[in-house]
Amino acid sequence: MLPDPIDRATLPRATLTPPRRRRISAIWLIPLIAAAVAIGIAVNRIMNQGPTITIIFNSAEGVEAGKTFIKYKDVKIGQVTAVELYQDYSKVIVTARIDKHAEGLMVEDANFWVVAPRVTLSGVSGLSTLLAGNYIGFEQGHANRAGRRFVGLEVPPAVTIDQPGRQFQLSADDMGSLGIGSPLYFRRLQVGQVIAYALADDGKSVSIRVFVNAPYDRFVATDTRFWNASGVDVSLGAGGLDLRTQSLVSLLIGGIAFESPSFAATSEPAAAGSAFPLYGDRTTALKQPDTIARSYVLYFSESLRGLSAGAPLTLLGLPAGEVTQVGVDLDPVKLAVRGRVEVVAYPERIVARLQTQQSAAGQAIVQSEQATHALFKRLVEERGLRAQLRSGNLLTGQLFVALDFFPDAAKPDVDWTQATPAIPTVPGTMPDLEAKVTAILAKIDALPFKAIGADLKKVIESLDKTLKDVNKAVNRIDTGLTPELVSTVADLRRALDSADRLIKSTDATLLGEDAPGQIQLRDALEEIAGAARAVRGLSDYLERQPASLIRGKTEKSP
Amino acid sequence: MTSMGNTETLACPDCDLLQVVPELPPGAKASCARCGRTLATRTTDPIERPLALSIAALLVLILANTAPLMGLSVVGQQASTTIVGGAWQMWVQGQELTAIVVAFCAVFAPAAYLLCTLAVLLAARRPPAPPWVGDLLRWAEAMQPWSMVEVMMLGILVALIKIAELATVEPDIGMYAVGVLMLLIPAIQSSFDPEAIWKRVTWADDGSLPVDDAVQADGTLNLRSAP
Amino acid sequence: MTTSALTAARAGLVSCGTCGLLAAPASPAAPGHCPRCGARLAVRRRGSVETTWALVIAAAICYIPANLLPVLGTTTLGSTEYDTIMGGVVFLFTSGSWPLALIVLIASVMVPLGKLLALAYLLITVQRGSIAGNRERTRLYHLVEFIGRWSMLDVFVDTFTVALVQLSPLMSVQPGAGVVFFAAVVVLTMIAAESFDPRLIWDAGTETEPDVA
Repeated sequence: MLPDPIDRATLPRATLTPPRRRRISAIWLIPLIAAAVAIGIAVNRIMNQGPTITIIFNSAEGVEAGKTFIKYKDVKIGQVTAVELYQDYSKVIVTARIDKHAEGLMVEDANFWVVAPRVTLSGVSGLSTLLAGNYIGFEQGHANRAGRRFVGLEVPPAVTIDQPGRQFQLSADDMGSLGIGSPLYFRRLQVGQVIAYALADDGKSVSIRVFVNAPYDRFVATDTRFWNASGVDVSLGAGGLDLRTQSLVSLLIGGIAFESPSFAATSEPAAAGSAFPLYGDRTTALKQPDTIARSYVLYFSESLRGLSAGAPLTLLGLPAGEVTQVGVDLDPVKLAVRGRVEVVAYPERIVARLQTQQSAAGQAIVQSEQATHALFKRLVEERGLRAQLRSGNLLTGQLFVALDFFPDAAKPDVDWTQATPAIPTVPGTMPDLEAKVTAILAKIDALPFKAIGADLKKVIESLDKTLKDVNKAVNRIDTGLTPELVSTVADLRRALDSADRLIKSTDATLLGEDAPGQIQLRDALEEIAGAARAVRGLSDYLERQPASLIRGKTEKSP
Repeated sequence: MTSMGNTETLACPDCDLLQVVPELPPGAKASCARCGRTLATRTTDPIERPLALSIAALLVLILANTAPLMGLSVVGQQASTTIVGGAWQMWVQGQELTAIVVAFCAVFAPAAYLLCTLAVLLAARRPPAPPWVGDLLRWAEAMQPWSMVEVMMLGILVALIKIAELATVEPDIGMYAVGVLMLLIPAIQSSFDPEAIWKRVTWADDGSLPVDDAVQADGTLNLRSAP
Repeated sequence: MTTSALTAARAGLVSCGTCGLLAAPASPAAPGHCPRCGARLAVRRRGSVETTWALVIAAAICYIPANLLPVLGTTTLGSTEYDTIMGGVVFLFTSGSWPLALIVLIASVMVPLGKLLALAYLLITVQRGSIAGNRERTRLYHLVEFIGRWSMLDVFVDTFTVALVQLSPLMSVQPGAGVVFFAAVVVLTMIAAESFDPRLIWDAGTETEPDVA
């Protein structure tokens, strides 16, 4: 049953709570998050932005805005943002943005250069840029002030500033085949390179700056010798042909080598920047300075062609000194012209070759000038020590001066009081051989070849004629030309007789016991035998020193 | 029951059938009686939600266009690009027309759509909205089919996969921004209710507010004449 | 449906294309502007059939070079190789990423063709006044409208590939001549879809002869 009808109007109204409208709906989180992310990214980028720098190059090969990076120790420290022409189109200005973390590297004397594939004296570099594109290399500077505008280097610096090692200064007559980047060798190991060179102010020498890497720089001592080890060290002199090379690289592009000479006492490492002379070759560099020298003069009446200053002076084939001057001596009174050679002897070199027991005594003699002088005088006067020109090299015809003992030599007349005494000389063996060969040729020339030849010709002619007649006779034999045949045969016999006679006469000339031609021939043969003896003497010498045909007598320092 | 409250008489845009659309509760939609096309949708939060999303979408759009999309590196070489950078490369390579089309569909149309929508929503928060709101709304609806952010996203992904075969590719901030934008724009479109806006817009001809009830009590249409 | 359904055109009313307001036209020849939003009023989209046909034909003409001309050229260490769209699809297929190949095939080859065929079909049926399958044809129209933009996929793929792979001398990519035609096909079909008035489908069979100017 329905309840009593209720008047709705009398019922109390329930309280109406209007829907609470949230002030901000949750949807607003989305734009807030978006804004936060966007601002965060923007702020991050601004914070990480490092400084902007400009670098001026002559040309910016392979540098592209937005692509090319700046790298230091193979780490990207910045990127190029713009490449433009500059200064009335003569240069290129590159603008780059440096990363924040590399900001501290941007000091005044920092260096920039374009790294591109490069073939230099010290090798090929930057090949990776062929595929990856060029980048700009960076070298740290040491200044304190920050810099933002730089001038780029056109070539990469040869050594980086922070590479450990030491620089030295060398002075040479000329650059030879050296250049920036030429390698520096120590015991055939590359330990450094040439980093700069300049002509000396007076133009008389070239100053070369080299850099020796650590730890090899400690091997450069105050007495270290540097020499030019470029290419093939070829020296062709009276000492012979000398062929040396440090490495294939130095063969192509030149190089410098150094070594401490063995005769040097142990010395301290050279200070950075020390100056050294650059010698032309190893031999010159390591040459022990000879402190004791005795000069002598020699007079020769034979040809001095092939003898030059610097040619060795030998004693028994061992190096004893060198020729210092080759000249002419003119005696106006006697009208005599002869060769005048000045030599300097280094007795120390001989003494160095003495065996240990005798070397002390030898040293004592050498040290005293008087003792040396006396010994030398005795050798010349009593033992026949003479100077002789000898052929050092058959190929080039170069000569050297040899001191040797000639017991049969005539007694000398030497004025020992002179400052440079004149040592008596003995004629060389070379002109002798030449004269003998000339004589043989003359004798052969004198043989009566012409006469023999003419006679032979006549015989041949008559034979020829006879044969022709025989031919005719044979052709006419059918017609009964027997009497002619008989006469032809008689002719033939006569020809044969004359040939016989001629042969006999030749016999007489040449083959008879007292044939004059034979006597002449015998003489000639005797001469040849004499010449052969001389040649044999030479060949004996060659047997003893076979290599000297090519290399000549070597003058090796001990 | 009489049709009290908000009703509207409409012609279906597809089949032109005249019909009365009843007042919709929030979240409901009305479809054409003949062809079934959606005539009106009433969204729950027609102003606030699309406004917030539009602001977010604009910020993300800026990010998507300024940050690089992805970075690739191979053999030491590196490259990266933005959306505008892509259009620029096409231009530089001689494809000017394609560059214009790409820039329009990828940057200009979405930006115009978002800006217009934002302006419309901001202006419509407090009725009456000025008449230019109507123009902006028209522009926004015109730009909508040309805003191809999701097509671009797929295009970027396909390009990424193709390039990843020969180089190391790393998606960057730009790509993530495009992905977020790709989700935000449909969200704006689904929460946006043009009807709600039109109701707040002053009429173009005399600046008066629209009458809620176009249908008079006797069932006849009360239509304004076009000027 | 029946011809007795009342359409706005038959009732002599105009529906605003922008805001949907139903209004009485100022005059049959010149309907005037919408009182609410100020947009120009038109009973049917102006010149719908003609404009749509023109655009469809133009798009079809562009479709041929879009597929025949190469769209991408890859230069590796100096030698350049050009690829058409189909070539790209085949390459993706043979290099193992067949899902990508499928996506590109559908989006770049089938969709534009489908759009052209669908629009042509709609135009023909409207012109022939067919009254069958109105709902389906309207759905087809909306499908064309919706899917049109996805054909732009290949253009974007090309653009970003070109923008990124500029690493000469190792590898660099250039756009081919076909890209612009392809973009033209997409743009033209999209405008064609916008200019086609779906109400024409439903007008067939009614006495309504809207002033299709």
